[in-house]
Amino acid sequence: MGMMEKLDVQSELAREYLTFRLGDEEYGIDILRVQEIRGYESPTRIANAPHFLKGVVNLRGTIVPIVDLRLRFGCSSAEYNAFTVSIILHIGQRTIGTVVDSVSDVMEIPAEAVREAPEMNSAIDAAYIRGLAQVGDRMVILLDIESMLMSPDMALID
Amino acid sequence: MAETSTDNSSAAGIDLSQFYQVFFEEAGENLENMEQLLLELDITAADDEELNAIFRCAHSIKGGAATFGFSDVAELTHQMETLLDKLRRHELAPTPAMVDVLLQSGDALKAMLARHQGAGGGEIDTTELLFNIRAMVAGEAPVAASAAAAAPVAMAAPAAPTAPAVATPAASAGAAPTTGKRTVELRVGPLDNMSQADNLLELFKEITDLGVISPLPDDPSLPRTRRFTLDTSTAESELLDLFTFHVSREQVSFVALAGSAGPATAAPTEEKDAGFGFFDPLPDASPAAASVAPEGPAAAPERGYGFFDNAPGAPAGQPGGAAADASSSLVPAASAPAAAKPAAAAAKNDKPAAALEASTIRVSVEKVDQLINLVGELVITQAMLAQNSRGLDPVVYQQLVTGLTDLDRNTRDLQEAVMSIRMIPMSTVFSRFPRMLRDLANKLGKKVELVTQGEATELDKGLVEKITDPLTHLVRNSCDHGIEMPADRLAKGKPEVGTITLAASHQGGSIVIEVRDDGRGLNRDKLIKKAREKGIDAPDSMTDQEVWNLIFAPGFSTADQVTDVSGRGVGMDVVKKNITSLGGTVEIDSAEGYGMRVAVRLPLTLAIMDGMSVGVGEEVYILPLSSVVESFQVSTEMVKTIGGSGRVVEVRDEYMPVIELEKVFNVPRFDWEHNSGIMVVVEAESGRVAMLVDELLGQQQVVVKNLETNYRKVSDVSGATIMGDGRVALILDVGSLIRRSRH
Repeated sequence: MGMMEKLDVQSELAREYLTFRLGDEEYGIDILRVQEIRGYESPTRIANAPHFLKGVVNLRGTIVPIVDLRLRFGCSSAEYNAFTVSIILHIGQRTIGTVVDSVSDVMEIPAEAVREAPEMNSAIDAAYIRGLAQVGDRMVILLDIESMLMSPDMALID
Repeated sequence: MAETSTDNSSAAGIDLSQFYQVFFEEAGENLENMEQLLLELDITAADDEELNAIFRCAHSIKGGAATFGFSDVAELTHQMETLLDKLRRHELAPTPAMVDVLLQSGDALKAMLARHQGAGGGEIDTTELLFNIRAMVAGEAPVAASAAAAAPVAMAAPAAPTAPAVATPAASAGAAPTTGKRTVELRVGPLDNMSQADNLLELFKEITDLGVISPLPDDPSLPRTRRFTLDTSTAESELLDLFTFHVSREQVSFVALAGSAGPATAAPTEEKDAGFGFFDPLPDASPAAASVAPEGPAAAPERGYGFFDNAPGAPAGQPGGAAADASSSLVPAASAPAAAKPAAAAAKNDKPAAALEASTIRVSVEKVDQLINLVGELVITQAMLAQNSRGLDPVVYQQLVTGLTDLDRNTRDLQEAVMSIRMIPMSTVFSRFPRMLRDLANKLGKKVELVTQGEATELDKGLVEKITDPLTHLVRNSCDHGIEMPADRLAKGKPEVGTITLAASHQGGSIVIEVRDDGRGLNRDKLIKKAREKGIDAPDSMTDQEVWNLIFAPGFSTADQVTDVSGRGVGMDVVKKNITSLGGTVEIDSAEGYGMRVAVRLPLTLAIMDGMSVGVGEEVYILPLSSVVESFQVSTEMVKTIGGSGRVVEVRDEYMPVIELEKVFNVPRFDWEHNSGIMVVVEAESGRVAMLVDELLGQQQVVVKNLETNYRKVSDVSGATIMGDGRVALILDVGSLIRRSRH
């Protein structure tokens, strides 16, 4: 963790984010956590898992769980079509896939452009939001994807 | 213990050297592990678990070293273990000095192991280390060897068979300064062949820088020991290094001369030894003496070569082997074995290591697993190609089709070859034991016969590595605690020779390895008493099974005496720990007076297994083929209910609980018309159930993947695999499903 924090401080000034869309919202995650982006392939269902866990897929010989962020964030619709993509993330020692509507951009967002998210009642705990960034006329929600996926309520780890 | 590696190889019919490499690797790992743990150890608040772990490292090394006859390694680890044992029992509080000494001991062990592996170098001097450890065990502060008192010697004597020989020099060495210009008395002995000492005179003649040596009359209180005065400024350690070509380090000691130089005489010493006349320390006797010497060059550092090249008596430039031959023909019969033996030892140290290196390479299991993964990918790709090319006209695409057929065959061969890397027959594990047991039985004065069964049972390499240590512990325990002394056995009307049986077999998806003995078995009352002494809650109402399981508690030993074989109460908790970590179980059966049986059951958590794929709705699940008993079609009438919900099916006059996979896994159904109609009877250690599925899809070898790597444990699922179409299928945990049916 110590090293992570150090990284955080170093790159606090300007970071690159991968932004993606979930419904009408645009989110950004630290690009360093992204391993690859793949088309969505239907996973093998895991019984009795939370509804946002779509199942597991074979990623070149390793079994990777797939989380649908749209279901996690309570988006109104979660369709699987040709544009649906999986972002494969590398978190700690683990590889985890997330499903999003579409990937938009890689953008550098300077620290001063990041505003604190207000305390409010939403499907995402404020602790997992690093901040809100204004990019042009768009608002990007910067997610702390690592702590969000590793949180106990995601039930991704024992 | 007192045996050297030389004795071992010549005395045994079995060549243990094939296992040396395994031991060296294991010992190396244990040493590294121990060093790591020592470095991390928080002295002020030492964790019991850490101390236990350090102790186990030392214990494992000792066990292996004793098995293979590396007595120096075993001796040092035995002392370390004694200290560590006191630490983990909180009889001593850890101090930084202890950590230092233990780390130094680790370094010394590394050097010893390197030497045994044929890396060369002289004997490793551990006298000071041993002395310091003993002092610490006795609760004293570590002291420099120069403060040596008589007490530690007395204390050390019973510690190990080799201790007296080592301890005496340790104490006397203390009194002599070890560096700087000084005059000391040099004692060499006890010697099998007194002439060995005279080689030292030659040595000083050759290397004039070393100092001046002159013989002293023999001291009747020191039998078989030669004495010299030595006027030198060479460091003691350096001298010892040089002396090791002629006499072993333990035989050399430096003693301070009382007052001025004693009654040193240059006159030839009087000899009681008849054969000694040949080796009078006279200059012209050098040809004989020098030709005995070639034992040295084989393993000697360059320094040694310089000396022998210059030796007037040694045939210059002649290969070592020839020189050794010459020596055995020149010297009288009495001294020939002395010369031949070290030479053999030197040759032995080099050869097995080199041969092993050439024939095998050690590859990390990770790499093999990676290979298996890649081959798995290849198989999937190949299957896809085969499927897509099926519609092609073989006349038009003849070359392509031929190529694909070749690819098919090659892929299959490759897969088999890669899989076989991991599988080894149980005999590789079992074959370690006959020799170990023989030595052990001899040492304990017992008569034991080893019977092995099921040697051909194949086992995953990863399992073999992990099962060997626990099995060694179990066999040692059986021999040490189980089998009685021959006289006791006869008195009890048992055959004089005890039997220890090692048996391996596949049983319903598990590998069961049993260690049985026909010894005295476990004593219920003794175990309960011991447990209470240890502060373990042990009510009289415990079942036998629970009582037997007491021996798995850390530090639990029913042995009355701690020997270097067993009795420290490690073993069993380590055995349990290792096996549990493999997902296995240990069961003990015992009948007092008749023997006991320890059954180690390991799940077939191999990288690959035979699976039967079954379809439920749109989903595919894999059943381990080994747990499948039979399958049949059912009609709804065959399934009866008990209490409204519990369902059973009658199979051959036996009612079996029914598990509907559809319900267990909440499989979504789209075709309401379709009904599950196939029952698969599966069995695990806990019993049999009938599993209701839609269809049987086939049977294939599957590569077992871990779900926990990136996800988590899923109930009723033991793992996952990748099917021919690239999709993931879950492998069912039959044992857990059966348990579910019970509750």
